[in-house]
Amino acid sequence: MSKKIRVLISKPGIDGHWRGGVVVSRGLRDAGMEVIFGGFQNAEQIVESAISEDVDVIGLSIHSGAHLVYTERIINLLKERGVNEHFLILVGGVIPVKDFPRLKDMGVANVYGPGTIIADIIKFIEENINK
Amino acid sequence: MILKDLIFLKFEKWLKKEFENLSERDIKFVTDSGISIKGLYTPLDVKSDYLENIGFPGFPPYTRGIYPTMYRGRLWTMRLFSGYGTPEETNKRWKYLYEQGETGFSAAVDALTFNGIDPTNPDGDAEVGTSGVPLYCIDSMFALTEGLPIDKVSVALVVEPFSSAPVCAMYYNMAKIRGIDTRILKGTTQNDILTMTVGYVPYKNVNPYHILRLACDLIEWCVPQKNVPKWHPINFTGYNYREGGIDAVQELGFVFASACSHIDNLIERGWKIDDFVNRLAFHLSAHKDFFEEIAKFRAARRIWSKLLKDKYEARDPRSLEFRFHVQTAGSSLTAQAPKINIVRTTIQALEAALGGVQSLHTNSYDEAICLPSQEAVLLALRTQQVIQDETRIPNTIDPLAGSYFVEWLTDEVEEKVWNYMDKIEKVGNIAKALDSGWLFKEMRDAFHRRQTRIENQEEIVLGVNKYPVPYDQTTSVFRTNKEAVRIEQERIIKLRERRDNEKLERLFDKLRKVCEKEENVMPIMMEVTKEGATVGEVCDIYREIWGIWEPPIAI
Repeated sequence: MSKKIRVLISKPGIDGHWRGGVVVSRGLRDAGMEVIFGGFQNAEQIVESAISEDVDVIGLSIHSGAHLVYTERIINLLKERGVNEHFLILVGGVIPVKDFPRLKDMGVANVYGPGTIIADIIKFIEENINK
Repeated sequence: MILKDLIFLKFEKWLKKEFENLSERDIKFVTDSGISIKGLYTPLDVKSDYLENIGFPGFPPYTRGIYPTMYRGRLWTMRLFSGYGTPEETNKRWKYLYEQGETGFSAAVDALTFNGIDPTNPDGDAEVGTSGVPLYCIDSMFALTEGLPIDKVSVALVVEPFSSAPVCAMYYNMAKIRGIDTRILKGTTQNDILTMTVGYVPYKNVNPYHILRLACDLIEWCVPQKNVPKWHPINFTGYNYREGGIDAVQELGFVFASACSHIDNLIERGWKIDDFVNRLAFHLSAHKDFFEEIAKFRAARRIWSKLLKDKYEARDPRSLEFRFHVQTAGSSLTAQAPKINIVRTTIQALEAALGGVQSLHTNSYDEAICLPSQEAVLLALRTQQVIQDETRIPNTIDPLAGSYFVEWLTDEVEEKVWNYMDKIEKVGNIAKALDSGWLFKEMRDAFHRRQTRIENQEEIVLGVNKYPVPYDQTTSVFRTNKEAVRIEQERIIKLRERRDNEKLERLFDKLRKVCEKEENVMPIMMEVTKEGATVGEVCDIYREIWGIWEPPIAI
């Protein structure tokens, strides 16, 4: 049997809108994945957790409008450590669709805005994970 | 034969002959909070005694409204929650809305102001002004209110207890310096313990035990100590946790349980209930279930009145008045087909108008995408103005009273709320219910329940799970000022150069002692903020003395 998919769900910054991160965490856990809910973490902490917890997926939940800045910081740090290819990076939150291409150019695999159906996230992870 | 018996006989006959043999659509007929709804209501369903439970507006139990004339005397305040970028930019938006007929201001603050983080701190520098106005020092208050008649128009400062003392002190000092007597100053501080705990998780805040005390410090200093007696020093904000997915019954249960904990604290400090309770206010949601929300507003007034009279033995009838602001439900809005949001907001605004609200915020249709653009916010204001000026709805008081269904539903909601309040009371006061994690679990379960209902199509969301459409690409995205972080950092750096830092250090030591002794922080807060203390510096002292609290979040 293949090992369980491991996911880190994290909230970069200081904005406390927590519903999205919790709902997605629970949905992925119910689908059989191992979910580490990191809560508030800065870029260094996210990269540290992702490496030490040996996760497959990094999910960033951002509702503050600062998604471009935070995502770029995290991906730059992953690149510095030479590990950006190891993770499937997903971003969710109140994110204008106009920013989806910019996030994907940075290296984000997919972006989930308001009204996302969790089954779609599960399907995407299962299809795109580097096994 | 009396009338009720006659109705009963005719109703039974109708039920057998006309109704029972027909088929109904195969759905559950229930309210959002799970109350089963019959197909028809008659006088037989109205159990409330008119004189005792419904009565007249302006008189207990206030079911029909808290003022004898309601909107014939004074229309509800149109107050749009607004703030972004810098205080100067927000001031421009406020002036624009005021010119367009807005009748009250409301400051949406950014996450740094909420969490007591200065813009020079790298933890939150990317969020300066992105989700509200940055209000980090007294200079910001002058910029925010420049040229606005704050001596006449009420201002809501939407900050929570962790940072409400310094932010309010900055505001009151600004008013004094502008020559306005704080005894005439009108406004509201949200100051709600549950918002920055279960509504939004707090970033490096302190234990709820201290948060509850801080909230009560402001109430005590403003109202019974008469420093800002016309101010509403707290606004129990069910809206914020309702947004997470709890239902109408839980929303009222949370706010009343929280209100009781604050009242108990003030009574422990030696105040009498009638000294302060009239200034406590509420902020509720107008959500998707039209009649249940109206019943909720009516039930809320009755519950509060009974609670104050029976449990706290308030004597002054004004102590029993449930005064509330409403915000239409942001969580009901979609980023897909955003123009439908205009219709949703209109219907929810109608609930508030029919429910006897004192002050109303209507959402902008682009709020599931970005902070409101000027065009969208004007339309949101116009939505209220259509109801006030064109529909003639405000001409009569509580127009749905006497509806068999509405009166029945008001009773049902009331009963369920009393039961839920008993459940919370068993957990302990609101600080304990937070620290033990109980309220977080209630919220988490609600998140999950709501999500499951939407995914299973038990709850319809047009554009998402029925007639789905892709994200709208045409709505323009309003972006906040990228320079805000630099502007705010400079504002703080200049202030630190200008102020008397030695004097301030001595005052900070006094604040430390006040915190250690658990005395009211407001008197010293007026001094430190006048001397140029920032919100971040004050909150760092709280952290230093009381420690940082880790909220017991459950997945």
